[in-house]
Amino acid sequence: MKILAIDTSGLVCAVAVAEDGRIQAEYKTDHKKTHSQMLMPMLDAMARALDLDLHTLDAIAVAEGPGSFTGLRIGASTAKGMAFALGIPVIPVPTLDAMAWQMSGTPGIICPMMDARRRQVYTALYRFREICDGTDPGNRETLRSMETLMPAAAVPAQEVLSRINEIGETVTFLGDGVPVVREIIREKCTVPYREAPAFRCRQSAAALADLAGVLMAAGKGVSAAAFTPVYLRPSQAEREAAAAAAAVSGQTAEPAEEEREPEKQLREIVIRRMTAQDVQQGVLLEEECLGQEAWSGTLFGDAVARRDTLYLMAESGGAQIGHAGIRAVCGEGEITNVCVKPVFRRQGIGEKLLRQLIHEGRRSFGIGDCTLEVRAGNTAAAGLYEKCGFVPEGRRPGFYERPSEDAVIYWLRGDF
Amino acid sequence: MMSNDVTLLAIESSCDETAAAVVRNGREVLSDIISSQIDIHTLYGGVVPEIASRKHVEAVVPCVEQALREAGVTLSGLDGVAVTCGPGLVGALLVGVSFAKAFAYSAGLPLVGVHHIDGHISACYIEEPSLEPPFLCLVASGGHSHLVRVADYGVYEILGQTRDDAAGEAFDKVARALGLGYPGGPAVDRAAREGNDTAYAFPQAKISEGGYDFSFSGLKSAVLNELNRQRMAGEEPRVSDIAASFQRAVVEVLTEHLLAAAEETGIRTLAIAGGVASNSCLRERLETACAERGLTFIRPRPVLCTDNAAMIGAAGYYAYLRGVRSDLALNAEPNLSLGTRERRYHAGKQT
Repeated sequence: MKILAIDTSGLVCAVAVAEDGRIQAEYKTDHKKTHSQMLMPMLDAMARALDLDLHTLDAIAVAEGPGSFTGLRIGASTAKGMAFALGIPVIPVPTLDAMAWQMSGTPGIICPMMDARRRQVYTALYRFREICDGTDPGNRETLRSMETLMPAAAVPAQEVLSRINEIGETVTFLGDGVPVVREIIREKCTVPYREAPAFRCRQSAAALADLAGVLMAAGKGVSAAAFTPVYLRPSQAEREAAAAAAAVSGQTAEPAEEEREPEKQLREIVIRRMTAQDVQQGVLLEEECLGQEAWSGTLFGDAVARRDTLYLMAESGGAQIGHAGIRAVCGEGEITNVCVKPVFRRQGIGEKLLRQLIHEGRRSFGIGDCTLEVRAGNTAAAGLYEKCGFVPEGRRPGFYERPSEDAVIYWLRGDF
Repeated sequence: MMSNDVTLLAIESSCDETAAAVVRNGREVLSDIISSQIDIHTLYGGVVPEIASRKHVEAVVPCVEQALREAGVTLSGLDGVAVTCGPGLVGALLVGVSFAKAFAYSAGLPLVGVHHIDGHISACYIEEPSLEPPFLCLVASGGHSHLVRVADYGVYEILGQTRDDAAGEAFDKVARALGLGYPGGPAVDRAAREGNDTAYAFPQAKISEGGYDFSFSGLKSAVLNELNRQRMAGEEPRVSDIAASFQRAVVEVLTEHLLAAAEETGIRTLAIAGGVASNSCLRERLETACAERGLTFIRPRPVLCTDNAAMIGAAGYYAYLRGVRSDLALNAEPNLSLGTRERRYHAGKQT
């Protein structure tokens, strides 16, 4: 039984080949390049190193989720493409199961956590029944040796921690969610805990391949057509529609993101000029912040490429978390976009971006006064602009759509 | 005996249609499967990128499976895989690109990344088997408005493009404001048939000194303002008159620019492509104008104007003949521009 395994559910991009319980190769990177660019070249390099004839594969295993939506889809589409072309099944492996599987033989509770954004983690709790004593070849005989104490869910870290405290056993944490909630663990965890070492604290395609062997033997393979990722969460549009429906029917909707405590700032935030390479992330950020009003990729790309514009972005850990743009129009500056990722709001990132943008815009284009438009109801944004010295000077009735709303025209005259 | 035929599997997932097709020699469509998500996006009044991406993952294998089955082609009968790599919604594009890379790799087939607009323009080759460059093509859809001189297969000179909204985007927004629903193009087209197209003098969607460029946002705002004014005045909005007048303003600028470009370049073959090319008013207007001037006019049938994979197979074929091969690092490029594609992918050519 030869299985090729793929995990692109998180920051790590990983591939492995396992044959009858032996890991023949594993190739894993944790690098800022996109999974889309990394995955197939890595897979090909691994296959070449092994002189792998793809037609000898019996199945393609893939992390089914939870995880980054885009990451899951890259893995899923790749697994489907291979499995369909080779006429073999896909083995969907729950991401958190595979992560926990790396800790086979570890006593106590195993708690993988992935950063799920929106102040939540994707997590689950496991325990290994048979603890490896060194004589046992391992726990791979049957999946039943790993029991699930809490099924996969997207929950606030506090919630899983209170479950752990209730169980009252030593716990091992792993996953990219751990650094994000480390402070909460320190505060709330009442049982002894440890973090998995660096070489076992992320997704592992080797563990996934190994677990897939067990699942395949249990008849869990599916056709390429039938496989779909497990996102655990509906899309934002569906969530909003459900919240709106709930509000109408008088039920309590999920609290708005802005009402939650802002995410702890864990990594340094760098402000730099945007380039064509940053546009893709910029569009995603706009879609997250503005939904239907987000600029299209073409529009954004063209705007960034223009000579009369300046675009700055805030970056944290290689990810774009905010951006702002200005365009020089006849000696005046028109602020075209200001956007900060919801979880990073209220940390002064928008203000920093805006101030630097105007400063650099004035230096580069010699512009004087600056102007911008904002939805009349967007008090948070208005507050930011006023803080930077912008003054409301006019209105454009019904300028915005969905819902129709006036635009307030702000001007910054002179210095700020 | 070796045959010189080139049979490509083509995949398209740049927006809200998952599509797969098998095309022989760029012009012979052996199968053309489109799985539309329109029903679900209609609920939200427009394409929701995350939902679109999820649907693509579900639909891609069934579409490809059906395309191969209907074409009666097995993997060994294919010479390559063509896939849309941009521009479009990045999450949506990634599904097609990831699938195509893995499929081509596993089947030992070459891969050709195709520009979505290259696809729309190439739909004309399918519609009119005798068509050869040079010709002028107006590409207007929900995401694009380009006036292009097709110098040779896959060689484009962009004469004009939109400065803001795409033509189709303007149709969608106006349709939404008029309460005509989504997608806006066909809805406005239908409503306009009942209306008086000279009821309102909306501004033309062009830019002074802008050459062949378009600007649809001013026109869109004028329509919304008029609608607002009527509502404020307590009038019942005259939906079909507004729709007809708006449509005329769009059609006029598109027609005018295309005809002016024909005159300037001396090119006698004109074509339209993209979703907006299905607009009945635009088709009639151009048909008449071209007949009067003795110009050849090519308008692909509606199924070739919407997003489809057959057109990607046509564009992919000519790229394939030119030796374009995409490597395994091929990425979805949401902002891919029509001019840079070959340079970019030749550079990354794999042997």
